[in-house]
Amino acid sequence: MEELKKYKWMIPLISGAERHVRRKLLNNLRKKKDHFYPEGDYNADVKNLINCMLCPNMCRFDCGTLQAAGKETIGPAYKSRIGYLLTIGKIDPEDPENKEFIDLMYKCSNEENCKIWCPFDFSVVSLLETVRDDINEKGLMPNYCKEQIEKLQETGTIEDHNIFKTYEEKNIENIDTNGDDEVFYYIGCETMKFPKVVQANIEILKRAGVKFSTNLDERVCCAAPALNIRDFDMVKQLADKNIELIKKTGAKIVVSDCPGCVHALTKRYQQTGTINGEYIRKERVKEVTELPEEFSRNIFEGGPEVIHIVEYIKRLVDHGSLTLKDVPEKYQTVTIHDPCLLARNLNDFNSIRAILKAIPNIKINEPVYNKEDTHCCGWSGTVHWADKEIAIKESENRIKELKDTGANIIVTACPTCELGLAYGIEEQEKSKIEIIDLSELLMKAF
Amino acid sequence: MNFDDFELIYKENRVEIKDKEKIVEELKSKIGDTNVSTEKIDILAYTRDTSLISLNWTIEGKLAGLPEIITYPENVDHIKAIINIANREKIPITPFAEGSGVVGGAIPLRGGIIIDMKRFNKILEINDKNLTVTVQTGVNGMNLERYLNDKGYTGGHIPQSLYTSSVGGWIAHKAAGQFSTKYGKIEDIVLGMKIVIPTGELIIFDPMARTATGPQLDKYFIGSEGTLGIATEATLKIWPYPEKRTLVSYAFPTIEDSLNATRQIMRENVYPAVIRIYDADETMRHFEHTEKAKDKVMTVFVCEGNKRLVDLEEQITREKCEENSGVNCGEVPVEHWFETRFNVTETSMFPPYKIVADTIEVAVMWDRAAELYHSVVEATKQVEGNLLVSAHVSHFYPNGVGVYFTFGGVPGKDKSEFDFYKECWDETIKATLDAGGSISHHHGIGINRSHWMEEEWDGGLEIMQKFKEVLDPNNIFNPGKIYQKTWKEGNE
Repeated sequence: MEELKKYKWMIPLISGAERHVRRKLLNNLRKKKDHFYPEGDYNADVKNLINCMLCPNMCRFDCGTLQAAGKETIGPAYKSRIGYLLTIGKIDPEDPENKEFIDLMYKCSNEENCKIWCPFDFSVVSLLETVRDDINEKGLMPNYCKEQIEKLQETGTIEDHNIFKTYEEKNIENIDTNGDDEVFYYIGCETMKFPKVVQANIEILKRAGVKFSTNLDERVCCAAPALNIRDFDMVKQLADKNIELIKKTGAKIVVSDCPGCVHALTKRYQQTGTINGEYIRKERVKEVTELPEEFSRNIFEGGPEVIHIVEYIKRLVDHGSLTLKDVPEKYQTVTIHDPCLLARNLNDFNSIRAILKAIPNIKINEPVYNKEDTHCCGWSGTVHWADKEIAIKESENRIKELKDTGANIIVTACPTCELGLAYGIEEQEKSKIEIIDLSELLMKAF
Repeated sequence: MNFDDFELIYKENRVEIKDKEKIVEELKSKIGDTNVSTEKIDILAYTRDTSLISLNWTIEGKLAGLPEIITYPENVDHIKAIINIANREKIPITPFAEGSGVVGGAIPLRGGIIIDMKRFNKILEINDKNLTVTVQTGVNGMNLERYLNDKGYTGGHIPQSLYTSSVGGWIAHKAAGQFSTKYGKIEDIVLGMKIVIPTGELIIFDPMARTATGPQLDKYFIGSEGTLGIATEATLKIWPYPEKRTLVSYAFPTIEDSLNATRQIMRENVYPAVIRIYDADETMRHFEHTEKAKDKVMTVFVCEGNKRLVDLEEQITREKCEENSGVNCGEVPVEHWFETRFNVTETSMFPPYKIVADTIEVAVMWDRAAELYHSVVEATKQVEGNLLVSAHVSHFYPNGVGVYFTFGGVPGKDKSEFDFYKECWDETIKATLDAGGSISHHHGIGINRSHWMEEEWDGGLEIMQKFKEVLDPNNIFNPGKIYQKTWKEGNE
């Protein structure tokens, strides 16, 4: 009944209606759950799945997976409709023939620009995740998710080996903590695939005279993939290790080169109750909307701040700890791919621009979809496991938008974006277009 | 998952595809394996449009229509190949893009093949000198408008469905945007098109400002709702992004006062981009915080464009409002309108309570506008169970207006939701015709209005049916819409 407050103008209409009409209507108002909600225990956010599935799909134009697939099937409201049908059992999730319907619950790139346009102010993935909870409880987790969990279990990362331990062969310096760090440089596991980015960030921190550690022998994944898959045993296992390591460094600031890590260590740990040692699923949507801003900045009471490295570098530039000079001609005209997690979830699209503007001879060609309106690289969320073709097409779409700026240098600040965007570049253009992390560009400005 | 578990609403005259496997294989060989689907998960996605009754059906586990094959053409040759096979096998085709239509136009009434136009989504060219943009017709309205805005233009076509509709859908249903008083309806905005007709030929109408080359054949396809072909490309007018925008609102004692004021404004050749008159009920619903509008008729105006012209338009608009007892309510109500105009929550809120609602837009000339408003409201109120009857006047011309009615309620004794829905529709349309109005202003005919086409067109419908036979001899393009009575006789 709470939602009907908006419709209080209906009260005189109802009270003025004929008696049998009024009775019928009041009965309908009372019996919504009897009519349309499933019986028994479930995690699915049925109320908002219904709100979403009956919406005219107001976010469809900005849904990266729908735009990539070009199929009504991938539309946000339809995903919710299938989530609802799976929850009420009209589509039996246990029937192996219905696997494609379960898979649809994972065909989302978590970019969450749906939330910008949603008349109900939710992101569709937040609803799909509640359906995933039920899928998991029924033991129906898709194999592509199980494989990630197995790798996390065995190696602590979603690689078939612990990628953090490859630092020597990649010529990455490991700095162990002695417990009184100013900064813990929390390297993303995806970033380990781009050694030059890690090397550049280490060089930047050294140049600025920052006392920091990397602790690569003790590192594990931040748990973002497990949060997407909704395996909370794994989340807890990884979160405990991360929290312990962060405490051990004594760092005042944790900086990560990966927006996914920052998002996981802050908002997502908090939303799932991981920080407090007690995870809350059913209330998750409420938690997301009511989460106070300060929780996103501080994972422990009085503990370290967790921020993306671009925000930290911006501080170093602002304080004069880093001085930037002209870059070579090839890098003078750039475009920016704002990582969706950084621009939308962490609300920071200014740092990249402020740092670039500190380079005297740089020109920024902004894409049509930029800052908080950025589009996904295709490699966030679970869609790249559930339907790689859609993820690649999403990447191709984003590359086209970036190419339309006329710049051949694409600056970003997320290793997953760097990985995803590379899929979108056609073979013959690979020598022309360069995707570069901001840190690598800065190395050319010293 | 079994489709037999879902009640199918439109099942009369549904065509089952013979030799489906063979047809699917042939389609795949012509347009590619990944561009054809018979997967249940894909089929289910095309079983409704956005007509509000189909949202009631959705939560109740009912399907409006049930196609058998979904196709995703990527170019004109693909469309031609699908059409050729469909013609040979007499398989119905329903074109589909964003599915935002509200009169059943994209519901696959007879099953068959869906042609999903989403992959025709490229913005091909902006011509600054001609002030045109050329697009593929599957492009989403908001994505087009955002692109144009970034380049310093507006498309001027801003329907409430902007986020959820395509250029092709606008053309198919002869759409109008909220800013149409200045920029025109889509038939005023389209300057050129490429259309694949049901016999498989591509017709090209080159963009031209005006011509005198015989009857305007191109215009005949605008509003044909996928019954005469599929537009694949369109060249549309664009405008430089407005230099200035002024927000004006006045509350009037009666709807007649407001209609007089707006008619006099139009008479001066003044074209505010937006004019909307909300009757007293809708004023209470949408502008309850505007004290000066209490029990009155709120009217909002948006003047935009060249600064000097906008200033003059504002001055004349204010004069005419004040001459007709209008009370100035300032900018706030218009700001509120801007903030909430895409905030569509009712489609989700009503069906879980089994409330059936819808909106019906009609057109009327000035001299009978007030009469039509009152008579439709009165007629629709008589439907048992109908609790909500209100209207706003939404589109304005020097010679007439578009009026947008809303109804909502629960079925009376022994009536189904669908019975109630149809009764509200029919009462609205009948009262409209009796008051000298036209049965649709901008949503189109689809299923919901096709049984009123005889009354609307008199002998004209017969000629349209003949044109349809010539262009689509096998009646495969969106059958059961526009020319045939689907509701009234229940067997079409």
